[in-house]
Amino acid sequence: MKPKARRRLRNVLDEADASLLDLVDHVLNKGVVIEGEVLLGLANVDLVYLRLAAVLCAADRLERTNESRRRRARS
Amino acid sequence: MSRLYLYALLGGPPSGPLGAGLAGEPLRLVRCGDLLAVAGDVPKAPSIDAASLRAHDATVRRLAEMVEAVLPIRFCTLVDDESALAGLLEPQRAGLGEALALVAGREQMTLRLYGEGLHDDAPLPDAEPSLPGPGARYLAARRRERRRAHGSREMAALRRGLGALIVDERVERHDMPPLLASLYHLIERGASARYLSALETIAGELGAVRARATGPWPPYAFAPGAIP
Amino acid sequence: MKPRRTRRAGVALRVRELDALRTELERRVAAETPRWNADPEDVQRSVAKLVLTLVDFLRKLFEKQAIRRMEAGTLTPKETEALGLALMRLEETIRDLARRFDLAPEDLKLDLGPLGRLS
Repeated sequence: MKPKARRRLRNVLDEADASLLDLVDHVLNKGVVIEGEVLLGLANVDLVYLRLAAVLCAADRLERTNESRRRRARS
Repeated sequence: MSRLYLYALLGGPPSGPLGAGLAGEPLRLVRCGDLLAVAGDVPKAPSIDAASLRAHDATVRRLAEMVEAVLPIRFCTLVDDESALAGLLEPQRAGLGEALALVAGREQMTLRLYGEGLHDDAPLPDAEPSLPGPGARYLAARRRERRRAHGSREMAALRRGLGALIVDERVERHDMPPLLASLYHLIERGASARYLSALETIAGELGAVRARATGPWPPYAFAPGAIP
Repeated sequence: MKPRRTRRAGVALRVRELDALRTELERRVAAETPRWNADPEDVQRSVAKLVLTLVDFLRKLFEKQAIRRMEAGTLTPKETEALGLALMRLEETIRDLARRFDLAPEDLKLDLGPLGRLS
């Protein structure tokens, strides 16, 4: 999250009442995650931006889709 | 350059018009394999404020009324276009399909537990001697430890009191006293009044722990990986 | 689920409860980016901490999946035994290495912000 967005979010949280906090928990902390981003820093400098295009998921769940890709490639 | 803002995945076609999204943009359905996503073209990411957060939830709730199964997508999820979306959903397809089947006809109650601490549940039975090897016994012990860490006497009492009203549950422990844990309960749609009255009955059994319920919500916590 | 105000059972949240929920959410959704800063006084320990944290993250990830598949019955007894042994040895090794660098289990927690913490 960019620093400006994080500051805005902190402001929202600082002034939030109970119902808005609950809302934040649901819409920002739950729900389907389609891509994730992680910013990594060193010596207090943000250096690496990781955009996870496929969020970590279980390997046994991937077999079916890989198999169908192989079948499609062969045909 | 507009981007696609995502609201939710649906288990089937909606029973009415989708209406508009949080930027007033017309919503549309995007089909990715067996999955149906509801999206809108927006010029840029929405600003992070109470109004946008509420509008996102309001849109998800409106969609929930038009379809049996809805899986909310996290706020401020934007993709470049439909094919980017398809690529991102593909690896998660199996889990998303299962989650949609689970939440069909259901909604969520959120229960937060407050107090000074939760009490460990009754001690678990000894290691299963029937397991042949040390590796299998280690995994079984780790499973018990995870269950113990996620459970407590109070949660067990809540589960007993709420009984068959709970279709499924997700638990998040918090290390932030007096906030102890959040329980997300999947219930049949329309069961929230029964849930709240059952809760009032058990409240006395929780000792010094206070349980606060809100809802019903769309099933935010039952998206796969919503609770890591 | 008509649009409606959320209902609450019982009395309103106490101030301490509200603040706790606020702080917890701040930690989860508005946390600073994970930063690694090598301590110039003890670079070795900083490196060890980073490496062991990442490896322990993987261990927890593997453990969660192994348990899930064990419960789902999609592992053969041989696979269950092999996975269990591997995870057990991994946990022991991480613990031993951590101890050598004076690192406690709490030091090895990795918080990926919006992607959550793995317990």
